[in-house]
Amino acid sequence: MKVIFLLAATGILFTTACSSHASNATPTSPSISFQSGMTPGMSGSAMPGMSGMQSPPASASATAADPPAPQGGTAVAIADFKFSPATLTVPVGTTVTWTNQDEEPHTIAAKDGSFHSPGMDTHGTYSFTFTNPGSYDYICSIHPFMTGTVVVTK
Amino acid sequence: MSAENDPPGMTRRQLMRHGAWFGAAVVLTVAGGEVISHVAGSAGAAQQSTRPALRFAQISDSHIGFNGPANPNVTDTFNHAIGQINSLGYTPDFVIHTGDLTHLATPGQFDQVKQMLTGLNTPRVFTVPGEHDSTDDAGQKYRQAFGAGTRGDGWYSFDIAGVHLIGLVNTLNMQKLGHLGADQLEFIEKDVAGLSSDTPIVVFSHIPLFAMYPDWGWGTDDATQALSYLKRFSSVTCLNGHVHQVFSKTEGNVTFYSGTTTAYPLPAPGQGPAPKPVTLPAGKLREALGVREVSYTKGQQALALKDQKLA
Amino acid sequence: MKIVNLTLRIAIGASLAASGVVHAYLYIHGYRDIPTVGSAFLLQGSVFCALAVLILAGGPGWLQLVAAIGAMGSLVAFALSRTVGLFGFAETGWQPSPYAAITVVAEVLTLLLVGTTALRQRPRASKDDVDVRRRSSSVEMPR
Repeated sequence: MKVIFLLAATGILFTTACSSHASNATPTSPSISFQSGMTPGMSGSAMPGMSGMQSPPASASATAADPPAPQGGTAVAIADFKFSPATLTVPVGTTVTWTNQDEEPHTIAAKDGSFHSPGMDTHGTYSFTFTNPGSYDYICSIHPFMTGTVVVTK
Repeated sequence: MSAENDPPGMTRRQLMRHGAWFGAAVVLTVAGGEVISHVAGSAGAAQQSTRPALRFAQISDSHIGFNGPANPNVTDTFNHAIGQINSLGYTPDFVIHTGDLTHLATPGQFDQVKQMLTGLNTPRVFTVPGEHDSTDDAGQKYRQAFGAGTRGDGWYSFDIAGVHLIGLVNTLNMQKLGHLGADQLEFIEKDVAGLSSDTPIVVFSHIPLFAMYPDWGWGTDDATQALSYLKRFSSVTCLNGHVHQVFSKTEGNVTFYSGTTTAYPLPAPGQGPAPKPVTLPAGKLREALGVREVSYTKGQQALALKDQKLA
Repeated sequence: MKIVNLTLRIAIGASLAASGVVHAYLYIHGYRDIPTVGSAFLLQGSVFCALAVLILAGGPGWLQLVAAIGAMGSLVAFALSRTVGLFGFAETGWQPSPYAAITVVAEVLTLLLVGTTALRQRPRASKDDVDVRRRSSSVEMPR
C-alpha cells in the first residue's frame, strides 16, 4: 500500500515537472551575479507600467556671462580645440589669462603639475602668475591632444 | 523477531525498515536529479535557438549641462532616449551609460543625471565616467554619485546569463589618448583569469579601446595590453561612447562598437579642425542621436546590436 | 490526532516540494551555469523533492530531521549569497523575484512544521517501540 503510494507520488511529481516545462511560457530573466565586495551600478525602476518619461527638470547651468577683461595679463585664446598662441613667451611675474571661446569646456593642466585650472565653460577664463622661469608645457585635461607651452624668461 | 525488553538499539526489522527508506531517498534523489538535468538540457536547447539569453541597452554621452546651438535642450533629448529604452517592448536586463553623463561635472548635474537614470525601466543601471565627468577632481564627484561598489577609480565587473562584463575607466591620467593605468590592467588580468575561454566577454569604456582617430584623442594608449589578456576568449565585444557617432571595427577576436550620443553630434574623424559640437539643420538633430540594443543568444558567438535613432 | 499528524506531514511535504521545485526551476533557467552554486541548486532540488515524497508517504522521523537540516542550510546559503558571497557568487536583495522570497518562506515553514511535529511527538515513543513493549510486557500494576 505504501509502495503504491510512493510510486504514485513519484510519478505525479515527475510528470508535473516534465509537463510544466513542455508548456513553459516565460522563463525568468537572468539575474546579475556580483563577486563579493564589488556591487557596482544603481537600481533602475524595473516595474512594468512605470513611465520612463519624466517632466524635464529645469535645465542646468546656463552659459556664463562674459567676465570683465583682465587687467594687464597676457592672453591665450582657446578656439577650435587649439591654444593660440601655441607658445607664449612672457617675463617672470607675468599673469597669463586663458579664455575659452569654444562651446566645449576646457582646462589648463601643466604637465609638471604646477598649475591646473578648474573646468572652463564657454567664455570662462583662468589666470595664472608665473613666478619661476622655465618652460611650462600644458594640455587640456579633457582633450589631452590639445597642447600649449608658456616660456617664462628671467 | 521481537525483543523481550525495551531494546536499547534497534531490531533487525527496524534496521531494514529505516534502510529501505534511506535507500528510497537515495534512489529518488538520483532519479530526480537525472530528470531535472535532462529537462535543463532540453529546455536549454529549445530556448537557445529562439530567445536571447541576455538583452541590454546602451545609452551614452548625455552631457547634462550643455547648452549650445548644437542642442539647446540636452535634458529633453536624454529624456526621450530614456523613454525610448522604456518602450522597447521588453525590459532590458540592465542598461549601461558609457560616460560623459554630465557636461561640467557639477554636483547639480550629477544629481540630475542620477535622478533621470532611475526612470529607466530596468533592474540595474551601470555607468563609466567620461572625461567631462572628471574635469576638476580626478573623478571624485563622479565616484560619489556612481562609484559605490566599484574598485579603484571606478572600474568593476559582473556576470549575467553566462556573460562576463567589465566596466573600465580610461578618462583619468590621460596624456594624449585615453589611459587605463597599471592598477586597472592588473585588475583586468586577474578578473578574467578564471573564466573559460568560451565565456562571452563584454567590455565597456568611455573612450574607444581601439585607435579610431588618435589626433583627436579617440584611442587608448594602453588598450593593447588590456586586450592581450582577452586574446584567448572566443567572443569579445567592446562598447564605447565619446565619439558621438556609431562606428564599428573588428580586430581579431574583438569587435569594437562606438555608440552615439543623446546630446549633440561630433564630426566624423578628420572632417573638420577639431571634435567640436556640430550644429545640424533644423529638425535633423534627432537623427544623429540615439540608443542601442544589445542581445546575446547562447550558441551564437557574436552579440547582436541594433542602433535606434531618437524618434 | 491522526488528522493533525497527516496535515503536518502534508504541509511539510508541500513546503519541501515548493523549495525543491523553485531551486530546480532556477537551475534549469540559468543557475546551472554558475560554478559550485549551480550544482548545489540541482542537489537541493533533487533532495528536497525526494524528501517531500517520502515524508508524504509516512516515512520515519529522521527524514524530517534531514529536511529541517536541509532547510536550515538553504537559508544560511541564501543569507551568505546576499552578504559576503558564497563560492564567489553574490546577488542583491530579493532577486530573482519572486522565487527567492517563495523559497525562503517555504524553508522557514519547513523548519516550523518539523519543529511542531517534533514537539508533539516527544513524549511518545516510536510506533515500533510501543509495539515491542506491548508484545513483551506483562501487566503493569498501577502505583
